[in-house]
Amino acid sequence: MEPTVISPKTPGAVIPTAGGASAKGGPVRFWARELLANAVVIVALVIAMEVWSRHVPPFIMPPPQRTFNAMISALQNDYIHIALTIARLLVAVFAALLIGTLIGAAMALIRPLEPYLRSIVVIDTGVPALSWMLFAIFWFEQAEARVFFILLMILVPFYALNVFDGIRALSRDLVEMVETFRPSRLQVLRLLVGPHIVPYLLMTTKAIIGYATRMTVFAELVSVSSGMGARMGAAQSTFAMDGVLAWTIILVIANLLIQGLVQGLESLLLRYRPEVEVR
Amino acid sequence: MTAEVSTDIIVLDKVDKRFGPNYAVQDLSFTVKRGQIVALLGRTGAGKSTALHLMMGVMPPTSGRLIVDGLDPFREFKKLRGKLAVSFQTDRLLPWRTTLENVALGLQILGIGAVERRRRAEEWLANVKITGAENLAKYPHELSGGMRQRASLARALAVDPNLLLLDESFSQLDHVTSHALRTDVAELVRRLSKTCVLITHRIDDALEMADRVLVLTAPAKVAYDLEVPPGLRHDKAWLTEQERLIAGAMSGPAEQPRVT
Repeated sequence: MEPTVISPKTPGAVIPTAGGASAKGGPVRFWARELLANAVVIVALVIAMEVWSRHVPPFIMPPPQRTFNAMISALQNDYIHIALTIARLLVAVFAALLIGTLIGAAMALIRPLEPYLRSIVVIDTGVPALSWMLFAIFWFEQAEARVFFILLMILVPFYALNVFDGIRALSRDLVEMVETFRPSRLQVLRLLVGPHIVPYLLMTTKAIIGYATRMTVFAELVSVSSGMGARMGAAQSTFAMDGVLAWTIILVIANLLIQGLVQGLESLLLRYRPEVEVR
Repeated sequence: MTAEVSTDIIVLDKVDKRFGPNYAVQDLSFTVKRGQIVALLGRTGAGKSTALHLMMGVMPPTSGRLIVDGLDPFREFKKLRGKLAVSFQTDRLLPWRTTLENVALGLQILGIGAVERRRRAEEWLANVKITGAENLAKYPHELSGGMRQRASLARALAVDPNLLLLDESFSQLDHVTSHALRTDVAELVRRLSKTCVLITHRIDDALEMADRVLVLTAPAKVAYDLEVPPGLRHDKAWLTEQERLIAGAMSGPAEQPRVT
């Protein structure tokens, strides 16, 4: 039976290694195989696009070369839109992390507030993303405020609920140990609760980052005239399928880079965790 | 009262602790003099842990008088800052802190500056025989069970407490490691003239370390009070006789808490 590595980094995450990083061959071989698999899939997709483009008009499927040219053009001329989207995403995720942590901590630590805050968070999770987008268009004139509001309303509940669960999972033994030194409430939060919830924050960020990227683009498409979502909308309105595909590829790459950034952050912040092998 | 503060670091006077109708501790009275090592010995359910939690100040007694270092440990919880420290059955090291950072935790809470904190933490780690930059930089999961327990003791001692409470601190270690650690801790505590209360269910732990052994039976009554003469601590015949007497005292009704 292949061993499975229980990720030390995020609570509950299990990564099947399939003879990968920690089993046979080591990490270099594992990553080489991953890269090879990705390259094979990309080449297969390009071939499929090429074949399909020969049988349909360019507004259905343009040749890969044309999509590639559109991508280069977007990177050269519209980089400000890429930067805008990434900045909006990162600012919103960071703000959601802060606000969600405060709400989650208040839910866990101030007992009388818990049912009310929980109720607000649960109602928020039930509101469709599209509704927040439409509300934002009615309520905010400023483009940045619209996107920020939409992302905040969508992302805050994830952080709040995970931080709440994280604090509730805090070991009673550790709390008792810290309390023997008679700390202030602020010291308990800084020295015990804060470091304890870091894995929960990272897990939430990893889980939502792809979703948040899609939501950012969607919000830009619906409510503003700048950013990658708006550019995709413009391409779609002029039947420029090569542009739509180019922006999609740029989005996927941007998303991978952001995921890599979070992964790096995780490796740095959770370096104290051991890897566990289950056979 | 003044005499108690100066000579007796712990005073329990007719202390009761009830959970609903059940007594975890009933009518418990004893004192601990400064500089003594006292073992509270008893079977599971004898009320040792409740007595410890009362002395730690994390719960109030239902009735009776409890004084720790001249203070009510529950009502004057914060005033005991830096005066009392506890080492537990399990090491309870924070997994995200290195060995050095774990030992410095109490000092950080006391507001000691980073440089002094590091110096003192290193000093206390050396006292419990953990040295070398490599060991100090290790995370808890990278240490052996014995080293983790030593680090936990260093963390408690680093705040220079007047009173050290050891809650079954050696019971999860193998016999050889446990013996070595007990010897080291007893030597250290005596050298520093600290007061130490050892909570244990193991007769050998108690006789080997303590100046005085109090045997508790459910619900936490002192059934046997033994002063250990320093000259007889290693006398095999005396130890055997005392083990027999203590075992007899411990075999009282320990499993069932009394119901009113």
